[in-house]
Amino acid sequence: MRILKQLWHWLDDITGISKSLGPILTHPVPRARKTRWLYVFGSATLAAFLVQVVTGIALSSAYVTSSGQAYHSLQFINSTTIGRIVRGIHYFGASAMIILIGLHTIRVYLMGSYKYPRQMNWLTGAGLLMFTLLMAFTGQLLRWDQIGFWTAVVAAEQAGRVPLIGNWLGHFILAGNTAGGATLSRFFSAHVFFIPALIFTFLSVHLYLVLFNGISEPPKAGRPVDPRTYRRWYHSLLESEGIPFWPYAAWRDLFFGTIVVLAIFTLAVVAGPPELGKPPDPTIVSASPRPDWYFMWYFALLSLIPKWTENWVILLGPLFFGLFLILVPILGGRGERSPLRRPWSILIIASVIVIIAHYWAEGIRAPWSPRLESPPLPASVVGVTSGPVADGARVFYEKGCEYCHTVSGYGGIRGPNLSDAGDRLTPAQMATRIFSGAENMPSYRGELTEEQLSSLLAFLSSRHLLQVPKPPVLKTPGK
Amino acid sequence: MQTFFFVAFPYIALILAVGVGLYRYFARRFTYSSLSSELVEKKYLFWGSVSWHYGITLILLAHLLVALLPAPSRLVLGNHTRLVVLELTGIGLGLYCLFGIVALIARRLPNKSAARSVTSPMDWILLLALGYQAFSGVGIAMFERWGAAWYLNTAVPWLWSLAILHPNAATVTGLPFFIQTHFINGFLVILLFPFTRLVHVVSLPLEYLWRPYQVVIWNRDPRRKQLPCPCQASAVPASAPPPLEPTDEKRRRSLTRIGILVGGISAAIVGIPSLAFLLGLRKAPREWRPLGAVDSFPVGQTVEVSFADASPLPWAGVTAKTAAWLRRDGPAQFTAFSINCTHLGCPVRWLPTANLFMCPCHGGVFYKDGTVASGPPPKPLVTYPVRLNKGIVEILTSPVPITTV
Repeated sequence: MRILKQLWHWLDDITGISKSLGPILTHPVPRARKTRWLYVFGSATLAAFLVQVVTGIALSSAYVTSSGQAYHSLQFINSTTIGRIVRGIHYFGASAMIILIGLHTIRVYLMGSYKYPRQMNWLTGAGLLMFTLLMAFTGQLLRWDQIGFWTAVVAAEQAGRVPLIGNWLGHFILAGNTAGGATLSRFFSAHVFFIPALIFTFLSVHLYLVLFNGISEPPKAGRPVDPRTYRRWYHSLLESEGIPFWPYAAWRDLFFGTIVVLAIFTLAVVAGPPELGKPPDPTIVSASPRPDWYFMWYFALLSLIPKWTENWVILLGPLFFGLFLILVPILGGRGERSPLRRPWSILIIASVIVIIAHYWAEGIRAPWSPRLESPPLPASVVGVTSGPVADGARVFYEKGCEYCHTVSGYGGIRGPNLSDAGDRLTPAQMATRIFSGAENMPSYRGELTEEQLSSLLAFLSSRHLLQVPKPPVLKTPGK
Repeated sequence: MQTFFFVAFPYIALILAVGVGLYRYFARRFTYSSLSSELVEKKYLFWGSVSWHYGITLILLAHLLVALLPAPSRLVLGNHTRLVVLELTGIGLGLYCLFGIVALIARRLPNKSAARSVTSPMDWILLLALGYQAFSGVGIAMFERWGAAWYLNTAVPWLWSLAILHPNAATVTGLPFFIQTHFINGFLVILLFPFTRLVHVVSLPLEYLWRPYQVVIWNRDPRRKQLPCPCQASAVPASAPPPLEPTDEKRRRSLTRIGILVGGISAAIVGIPSLAFLLGLRKAPREWRPLGAVDSFPVGQTVEVSFADASPLPWAGVTAKTAAWLRRDGPAQFTAFSINCTHLGCPVRWLPTANLFMCPCHGGVFYKDGTVASGPPPKPLVTYPVRLNKGIVEILTSPVPITTV
């Protein structure tokens, strides 16, 4: 023990650690009182990031950056217990980082902590938020299974909507004409070198600014920020009631950060990493590319917005988001900080949360996706095994109706539920819709023989929720 | 003789122009001037100089653009209306600068005039050469069967052959003599460049285009009066360096600039090749790939086919493969659809009983001919070129179709 102490004194003497880092650790911070637990999200994001760095380095020692072999190397990592755990930590660490950076951003925005003199704290943080999202996206792609492969294609297609250089940009992302050998290396390099380098750079500035400008004091309604007097006031506040960061504030960061790490680890062990899908073979067309949960809401957004707005949303959505992040501290650099005096900020955050939550839930349901794997309707649902109704049920399945329409719990949910079609529609109305199609339904003109149509109508007319069987009225319309 | 004029002479002219030009630039810097004679004669000069310089600049630019970008020029000139408009503009500009050079010659002609006395023999040679060039240019445009499109197909290939050091004068040797004199005289002007006042073209005052119309400068250096700011003084009171001497400050500033410059150069040396490497896309030639015998595809059916990329990388593994939906429309008619949905690129699935393509991502649906049936896709499925080659169906490898705005 004494030897260790001597060693430390010797080291400190020749490096000056306690002289240089000591004052940083014990710099005074304002008392946060009731809101003190809201100040832990930033450091917890950092903790999650460090988890990502460590596990990322570990994973990269086994990952093979080759479009042809990355999948096999992941299979290898997955086949070992410790490999599964490390992958799991990396996956849940990413999720935690996204959630925590989101909470941190919301906290800083609601408390108005981005106001003078902390505008650059916010801007570097905005950069870090963007980079974190990019890491999430590229990271999902590096799980080079079928979905990872198609994620690259979807990314290129979205970049293609940029005016003028879209085509070039799309192929630049794919690193060639097609998604192939060169594609994965590009994303690997971005995920492992380029974006982390940016994160480290921005993070250093961000942390330096936190020290330079001091941690923001909790806002109080009726105490606006005036750039002319703020610094002097802040320093007098620190002098009168500041507490040393270490240990009086830092212990909460440590405590919460530890909980985060423990939660990540527990989830990694219990839930395990996301399973690998099919191999990244472009010729396996039975693929259903889905983003990981953090982009599920965006996936839903692109499905549910009106068709004509799509190019604008793909292009201007991220642009406006970035612009919003940049303009927040520039336009709102002074004045009231308390959310009680900034009702719009509450409204904005509430709307963003509601919108994202709504689209997220829709994305999980994915009602727009045809249920291509739904089985033919069983006889128990159809009710008969021969005759026009049974034939119609077969047509209903073969012509793809069932992929989008539910009948008694079977099939997709893109179109209206047809379990009670017979109660709601006459055969003529059904036939009109089948022939004319709609915005989200193909027209079956010329696709059905007269016989197929009449049996399909017979089947649909036999769909009742009311247990009163109606005699099917068979009539070929419009002749 | 033709070889001399169209191969050797151009090179001689260019080498002399560059070599002597450089020598004159470094050894006789102050002779890089147009030797203004504005003080001697002003009236003719205005009309002559303005007409000549505007006319010749635009005409030279047109010559240069077409020579440098033959393929886009071909597209531009390919339209009859555009060709006529451009040629009329060209003749107008040609007459404009012919008028200018005549005025410039005329102002030096009068005997015993001051303008005549400052004109050297070399000036006369240059003026005559330029005058002939303008005259022959306009003459060719008006009296020979010659036009902008001819220049593109005769002189440009010849100039390119000179530029890539594989001289080939075949496209110009057969032209009428009058046209050829325009070429030869053109290189004569290039040759004359370092020996005459024509050198002033490289001292083109481009900066005038963006500099403020008046420049106000300090008679003394304003920065010298700046005192070190008090915050700095208090931060390092003991070890603060003594106030700098003016010369020392100057030196410090120039060292800073040199530092930035040197750092910038190093950054460029490392950065530019890295960036170029990153931005460089692999250009694979498109290849025909066999898909199978014609008879292995039943008429009227759509099946998935897979084939290798144009030039698969050795480490690409399964990703080197590409898939397409191939339909046999008739005995010898095939259509190949890209599997990529035109919405966001997900793989569409063919549903044979429903005769529809469906996309699993956002629910896009296409009819069997590839047109949009429903959902978000903005345009029909992309088709790939297919051909029959000795009973084998072949497909042309194609880039992933990217839907652009």
